[in-house]
Amino acid sequence: MAQRPPEHRHVPIDWLPDQPELAGTLQLVWRQAQANVPAEFLGDWLRACRDLADRMGSHAALGFVRNSPSVAAAAGVESAFALAAAVPEIAASAGGGAGLALLVAAPAAARRLGSAQGFGEWLRVLRLVGDRAPESLALLLERTERLLATIDLRALEGWALRGIRAAENEPERRLRYFALVDPLALRALEQGTEGVEFADVERELKAYVTALWRRMPPLRVLPGGGLEAPRRTSFEGGIIRVPTAFRGWAGRSGRELFRAALAHVLAHLQFTPARFPLGGLKPVQVALVSLIEDARVEQLAIAQYPGLRRLWLPFHVADAAGAVTAPALMARLARALIDPGYADPHGWVGKGREMFFADPSAWQEPGLSRTIGGLLGNDLGQMRAQFNARTYVVEPLYRDDHQGLWDLPASPAPAEVEALQESVRLEGRADSPDGGGRAAGDETANRASLVPAGREVGIPVARYPEWDFLIGRDRNEWATLIEYPPAEGQGETIDAVLERYPELVWRIKALIRAAKVSRPLRLRRQSEGDRLDLEAAIAAAIDRRAGLAPSAKVYARLERRFRDLSVLVLIDASQSTNDVVGAAGKSVLELERDAATLLGHAMDGMGDPFALHAFCSETRENVHYYRLKDFDEDWNAVVKRRLAGLAGRFSTRMGAALRHAGRELAQRLSYRKLLLFISDGEPSDIDIADRRYLVEDARRAVLSLRQQGIDIFCVGLDAAGDGYLARIFGRGNVVQIDAVERLPERLPLLYFRLAG
Amino acid sequence: MNLDEYRLRDEPYYRAIGDEVRLFEAAYAERMPLMLKGPTGCGKTRFIEYMAWRLREPLITVACHEDMTASDLVGRFLLDAEGTVWHDGPLTLAVRHGAICYLDEIVEARQDTTVVIHPLTDDRRVLPLEKRGELVRAHSDFALVISYNPGYQSVLKDLKESTKQRFGAIDFGYPDAAIEAEIVAHEARIDRPVAELLVAIGQRSRNLRGHGLNEGASTRMLIQAGRLVARGIAIEAACQVALVVPITDDADIRGALTAAIAALV
Repeated sequence: MAQRPPEHRHVPIDWLPDQPELAGTLQLVWRQAQANVPAEFLGDWLRACRDLADRMGSHAALGFVRNSPSVAAAAGVESAFALAAAVPEIAASAGGGAGLALLVAAPAAARRLGSAQGFGEWLRVLRLVGDRAPESLALLLERTERLLATIDLRALEGWALRGIRAAENEPERRLRYFALVDPLALRALEQGTEGVEFADVERELKAYVTALWRRMPPLRVLPGGGLEAPRRTSFEGGIIRVPTAFRGWAGRSGRELFRAALAHVLAHLQFTPARFPLGGLKPVQVALVSLIEDARVEQLAIAQYPGLRRLWLPFHVADAAGAVTAPALMARLARALIDPGYADPHGWVGKGREMFFADPSAWQEPGLSRTIGGLLGNDLGQMRAQFNARTYVVEPLYRDDHQGLWDLPASPAPAEVEALQESVRLEGRADSPDGGGRAAGDETANRASLVPAGREVGIPVARYPEWDFLIGRDRNEWATLIEYPPAEGQGETIDAVLERYPELVWRIKALIRAAKVSRPLRLRRQSEGDRLDLEAAIAAAIDRRAGLAPSAKVYARLERRFRDLSVLVLIDASQSTNDVVGAAGKSVLELERDAATLLGHAMDGMGDPFALHAFCSETRENVHYYRLKDFDEDWNAVVKRRLAGLAGRFSTRMGAALRHAGRELAQRLSYRKLLLFISDGEPSDIDIADRRYLVEDARRAVLSLRQQGIDIFCVGLDAAGDGYLARIFGRGNVVQIDAVERLPERLPLLYFRLAG
Repeated sequence: MNLDEYRLRDEPYYRAIGDEVRLFEAAYAERMPLMLKGPTGCGKTRFIEYMAWRLREPLITVACHEDMTASDLVGRFLLDAEGTVWHDGPLTLAVRHGAICYLDEIVEARQDTTVVIHPLTDDRRVLPLEKRGELVRAHSDFALVISYNPGYQSVLKDLKESTKQRFGAIDFGYPDAAIEAEIVAHEARIDRPVAELLVAIGQRSRNLRGHGLNEGASTRMLIQAGRLVARGIAIEAACQVALVVPITDDADIRGALTAAIAALV
């Protein structure tokens, strides 16, 4: 203090005679400036103020005077000077508004970053954005605090660059991005956060849950929420929703957190038999009943799996120090109820603990949570500890949001509604964000295909003969085949199919692996080869001694046989496939679709070229034919959407469809050509009264295709179809599936058998 | 010829799960061919050893593989200085001299190989040796037992209908937890609580069957883990060595198994 220059003791008002307003403000903050700017720099600081006032006017200088002392306090005096240098630069590239915004944002950033180096880095990122997306800089600055609270500087830079790249030459889009309105920005923000993403650990977690609980409820990822309050897992109606990532939990601890969260939800699913009625409970009581219920199910789960305590404990970090607020006390109580080694002097926590552990045998009863929670809630109310239900977040992190515990009036969670609107806006179509509302997805799929049905335009591509068994000859150019563009449905329903048959998908995978690495075949008794076939050699030697003519085929060799197979799957999509069968309440068409999906998955995995076509018919003039997937198309999202959009209509005129599919297949150059036909019933059409006519025609079509070297195999879903299917395809080429529900599992395996 | 070397001298440990011992004895009394079905490591081989010991019959075991020919079972001519010499295969040996012939993992053998057992498994009970022009009538003690693991490969590898229908079958599964713990405790010479924990671990791994694993950990694996524990290895480490690492190469599934084991310990 002694060496401070005397002229700095008082505000030099006369030093700024032309700027009375600035001088006044300077006087107000002078004490603060003196406290934060070391004395030897005060002169420089004043010069910087003066300089800013000269270059950018009094507004900027005022901003600097007001904000730079806090910057200096938080991130060192160099930061204040760096700020003074940056403001004119930013103003030059992004406009004066951005310069002022920088001054406003600087204290918060300095507090967040806490060091001159960090602050300098931050300014560098800002300059970068200022150069490439000047219009967005002010917006970015306004959101400084939220952004830096979410991600660190390096991630911020990556995030900003991503926005600039994603919307190059589209300033408007950039504005949306930096205003955090663009969903992409929110998504990118989540990815920029350090943290394990659920997708990375999903498989392991599912296996973990399946191993311990022998079941895996459907899992959905919560739609990206950007900068909202920290999120928790949630479960409702048997579906578990998990956040895409827990921010700031990277590596091993992130994995453990997901595991802890799922183990907690599974403990609820196991031990919370029914939802609690809300009754007249106050919010604080609801929170406490939930807390006790959490502890209760965890104790029961720990009794079964002692290791779970080790999994959960690290996340209980509340301790007895700190302010006595309701959320803090509740976190402490949560810890006291699981951590035997935790001591808490607070009477309320102690009381809760005592009540909870008074009788461990009572843990079996969910009513216990209600009793204890209600009592503790009253006590907390009497202690006048503030509880705000709006801002309350369940602690610790791994616990669920309690939505699934209470019998709440049905309303979608707000995040979901938002996401719903978003997806409507973005995709122009509505779907539940979880993609799992199968019924809903199917409805839309059916709608999507029914609406355009009236105005769908097809191209007549061929006329095929039909065999009239009465006159014993072909009727030439009789049936007209029209190709229609397939309607598109929800591709997600197709992806969901794979999820519904995990065991089967696994088996398919194993079969693919087995078939792909098909071990070389040992060919014995060859006339040439790289080794002697011992058996044959001995037999030859014996023959020679016996005076017989020995065979010269005494060699063996190994050979790899390559697959060369094209498969065309033809699906019957007639009206009758809409019939609901079996206990699962699914229509034949749905089962066909599931089966085709699994089959497609298998064939795609095998690398065999395959096509997926469907047909139905209304009179001989209009045999509908849909190409869901062609040989040269990939098994991709478009194909899946088409498969999802498949609808059952009209009749089943097999002959024309078989001929058309056969023609397609005949053009393939493969060694083996397989036509796999899935049908649920007898051929029929509204213009044909004679039941035998279409059967005979189909038989004729099959015979002629067989002559062209095409293998035709039929999967019949009509238990009574033995007679006519055998007549059409030949007895050995038909498989009857009596329980149609089993089609999805039977079909891929059948394919392996046929193709093997 | 003396089959003494195929006789079991000491009683093999076998803990009956149900009435399989009685069933087997009845079937053997009738010389009914039997098929033992069940996943790997659940005790099929141990069971047949135990039964052979109990019935005081020699036991000839053949491990089937896909390169096996009928001559590997029946026998072949070999050359020596004098000329050709016939050598009985294991099956012929059992048929001629009276033994239980156990064909392990029969589906692995090609279907054209397995048909040689057909004449032995109906009321003819003969084995024609084509090459020798001999018809061997089965010894009265001869019985045929095959084992069969209906795993995921059964789509591609399956017994012919005509083979299947000649056999009676006993289905083996992993035993109940209490019995399995008893077995593990006995075989690994460990305390009952440790064995129970190992069995609980094994059961959790079996939940993953079809969800990442082809098969869960077998009783044999649990015994192996138990033996390591008996040697002073910590249980989690023992499970890693004897169970997690051998059973899969999939990092996710290994992670899940390790975590599941941690939850149980």
